[in-house]
Amino acid sequence: MQWQADKPHQGEVLALPTLWSLSQAWYHDRLSPTYRSRTVAQVEAIFESLGLTSDFWRLGYAADIPQK
Amino acid sequence: MKFTPDDPLIWSIRTFIYEHFVATTEAPTVLIIADRFALTVDEATAVLTALHEQHALFLEAERPVIRIANPFSAVPTDFVTEVAGKRYWANCAWDSLGIIVATGARSASVDAHCTGDDQPLRVVVANGEVVDNGALAHVLVPFRHWYDDMVFT
Repeated sequence: MQWQADKPHQGEVLALPTLWSLSQAWYHDRLSPTYRSRTVAQVEAIFESLGLTSDFWRLGYAADIPQK
Repeated sequence: MKFTPDDPLIWSIRTFIYEHFVATTEAPTVLIIADRFALTVDEATAVLTALHEQHALFLEAERPVIRIANPFSAVPTDFVTEVAGKRYWANCAWDSLGIIVATGARSASVDAHCTGDDQPLRVVVANGEVVDNGALAHVLVPFRHWYDDMVFT
């Protein structure tokens, strides 16, 4: 993911406030000793809570892969 | 030698790795980890491999060297987050803000460049909120392809 001056031709674009909200949802507990890699369902729930519901943010084949 | 995901030791070492990143801005080496936890290098390597397999961190190819512990990058990148006078490398725009969130900083900044025009870009967080400067983040890789190439993602 990179910073962009203009709307690109492919991929998705997030406004800065949305990216900040995503970072908060994603990383608020990252330093906790009890943090564990998320499941795909947990990740999709975070995306949905932020209105990221397009196919771009949906699971393909990676159902059993723990998430970053 | 192999460690399973339910072994508490690997998660204790994960915590140590993150604490090391926060304190020093760098990833600990396998030798530092082995010394800290009284392990052999082979044992420490096996722990790192187990964490890599859990996507709790990402190693360099074929080497027990930490490359990524999201949101931190162990190698220089164009995404630099400054928190409390320390400058951290992030893996991407998302992670550059993630470092601010993960460390609990209420005031911090990110320095990077815009793709395309290569103009410098600064993002500021003040009083616990991002200051909207109109910047856009471009996500290139769909969720289902994140792990095809994590460094590119």
